[in-house]
Amino acid sequence: MPWIAEDRRNTRVAQSQPLLTDELKKQIADTYFPRYPNKRACLLPALHMVQHEYNWIPPAAMQEIAEFLEIAPAEVIDTATFYEEYWLKPKGKYLIQVCRSLSCEICDSRKLTDHVCKKYNIEVGETTPDQRFTVVELECLGACGNAPVALINDVMHEDLTPEALDAELNKLPDDPHDYKDPGIKFASGH
Amino acid sequence: MAFPEPVLTKRIPLNPADRKKVWYNDYVATGGYKQLRAALDMSGQDIIKTVTDSGLRGRGGAGFSAGQKWSFIPKEKKTTHYLAVNADESEPGTFKDRHLMEWDPHQMLEGIAIACLATQCDIAYVFIRGEFHHGTKVVEQAIKEAYHHGIFGNNVMGTGKKIDCYVHRGAGAYICGEETGMLEAIEGKRGWPRNKPPFPAIAGVFGRPTVINNVETLCCVPHIMERGPAWFKTMGTPSSPGPKLYGMSGHLNRPGVYEHELGITLQQSIDMAGGMKGGAFKGAICGGISMGVLAQHQLDVKLDFDDVRFRGGCLGLGTAGMIVMNEHTNMVRALRNCVRFYAHESCGQCTPCREGSAWMKKILDRIVDGYGKARDLEMLLELEKTMGSMPGTTICGLADGTAWATRTFINKYYDEFAAACPEETTKRVSLPISRGNREVATPMGSNTR
Repeated sequence: MPWIAEDRRNTRVAQSQPLLTDELKKQIADTYFPRYPNKRACLLPALHMVQHEYNWIPPAAMQEIAEFLEIAPAEVIDTATFYEEYWLKPKGKYLIQVCRSLSCEICDSRKLTDHVCKKYNIEVGETTPDQRFTVVELECLGACGNAPVALINDVMHEDLTPEALDAELNKLPDDPHDYKDPGIKFASGH
Repeated sequence: MAFPEPVLTKRIPLNPADRKKVWYNDYVATGGYKQLRAALDMSGQDIIKTVTDSGLRGRGGAGFSAGQKWSFIPKEKKTTHYLAVNADESEPGTFKDRHLMEWDPHQMLEGIAIACLATQCDIAYVFIRGEFHHGTKVVEQAIKEAYHHGIFGNNVMGTGKKIDCYVHRGAGAYICGEETGMLEAIEGKRGWPRNKPPFPAIAGVFGRPTVINNVETLCCVPHIMERGPAWFKTMGTPSSPGPKLYGMSGHLNRPGVYEHELGITLQQSIDMAGGMKGGAFKGAICGGISMGVLAQHQLDVKLDFDDVRFRGGCLGLGTAGMIVMNEHTNMVRALRNCVRFYAHESCGQCTPCREGSAWMKKILDRIVDGYGKARDLEMLLELEKTMGSMPGTTICGLADGTAWATRTFINKYYDEFAAACPEETTKRVSLPISRGNREVATPMGSNTR
C-alpha cells in the first residue's frame, strides 16, 4: 500500500501523569470516606481538593474523580457545572471576587470593580494576559456589615475603598500559596 | 420585655477591637459545655420538651418552632439519624451566622451536641458556604478541639454515646441554603430542592431522618437549657420569644451585628446601629432581600416573626438582616439588584422561577436604562403573581423571594417606578443585548464568567 495505515490497535494514547495523584486519592479516602455513607457524597470535597491543587478543574481530573468515586463521569460534570465556585476553565493565580449585592452596591462596590478592571485593563470575568489576575463580580459574600467587600483567593477584605483595595493588590506575593489569611491565628495547639 | 445583657454574643464584645476568638479553654472557663453535661443525663424527649416550651422559633428565615421540628423525628430509632446545620448563609443582608461561627464556634458545637442527643442523631454535618474560607477554618479547628476534649467522638464526655460532627463545604450556590437543596449538596449532587413530602424528618439526607437547623437556632439551645424556658420567654414578644441577632448594613453609621430581643421597632434597630448615614431614611430590607422592603411610614413596625408580616406587608422577618437605605437610594436600581440576584441564583429546576426571574431582570435592566414603559410595571406585577411556592408553581421558596421583593418595592415606591416608566415614551425601545461589554445578556440570563 502506498500509504502508511495508522495502527490503531496497538496505538496507545500518550497518557500523561494522572491528575488525581495517589497522594490526593489517599487524602480523600482517609479524610472523607469515613464521613459519609457512600462515595458520591465525597464529590464536593474531592472537587474542592482538585481545584485547590490545580487552581481549576481539568476535564481529565473529573473523569478520574468519577472513576475513583465509582460514579459516571456525567454525574461529576452534572454536579461540577452547577456550582459557581468550581472553575471548569483555567483562571488566574489570584481570583478577585467583588461582591455586587445590594448592601455592597449601595456602598459603591461598583467603584471597586471599575478600579480593578482599569488597573489591569480587563473586563469582569477576564484574566490578565500573564495569567495572574482574574476579576469576577459575584453575589453576596455574607459580610454586608462591612460593605463593600472583596474576596482575593481565600482572604476576605472588608470596608474597602478603591485605594485600600489597590494597596492590598500591590502587596500580593508572587506565589499565591504564600498568601495566607492574616486573621487565622489558632491559640491552642491541637 | 427587658433586654439587660447579651445572650448569644455574651462572649463576643460589641467593639470589634476587643473581639477575640473563643477557643475551647476560654469557652469552658466561661461556663461552656456545662449544659451538654446536663443534657447527657436527660432523655431526648425532655430536651425537646424544654425547647418546645421555650417557644424558640427557627432563626433561619421561616420561623418554624424548633422543638416541634425535632419532635417530628421518629422516636424509635431504626436507622442512622442525621443533623444538618445550615450555615450556608447567602441571603444578601444576612451575616449573623458568620459572626457566631467566626468568633464563638464552640457555642454552636454545644448546641449541635445537645440537638444530636435530643433527636438521637449520630452524625452532624455543618454545611458552610464555600465563600466562608475563614469561618470554615475556624469551625474545623473548633471541631478538632472538641474531638480532642471528648465532646464529639465515640465517647461523648465519658458516657459512651457517639456523635460525629463534620464540616461540609458548599461551593457557591445560594439555593443550597434551602433545606432540601442543602441535603442534595451534602449527597454530592446539584443543589436542586426536593419535592416535599417526604419531609426531611422522615427521609432527608441519604434517605434517613434528618434534622435541619440554622446556626443561630442551635446557639440558642444551650442558653435555654441553662436558664430555662421561662427565662427565654421574658425576652421578645409572646409569639416570638428570645434574643435575635440583627445584621444591620447599608447606609448606617455603625453597621454590624447587634443583639437585641425580638420585637424591637425598626426605628430602634436603626438607632442601635448609630443612625442613618448620608440622609434620611427611605426604606429597609427587613430580613434578607427575599422578605421585601419596609417603607418610610413603617418605622414603627415591630421586628418579630409576625408583625413584619401582618403590619409590614413583607413575607416575614426572615433572618433579620436589615439593609437600610437612605433618601438618595434609587429604588429601581435597588430592585434591579435584588432581581438580578434571583435571576443569577435560580437553580433552573422550575420554569416559572428560571424564566420569570430572568425576564424580570431584563425588564428592570430596560427600565434602569431609561427605556421603561408603563406596561413594564404591569408585566412585572403580573409575573410576580405567578411564581413561587405560594401560588404553587415552584418547588421551593426562592421564587417567592423574587415575587415579594418585586411586589413590595413596586407597591411601596410606586411613584418612583411610575416616573421611570412613563405612559408615553419618546425613546426607542430596544432590548439591551450587550451592556457596555460588562454583562452579556443571553437567553439564559447573564453570566459573568
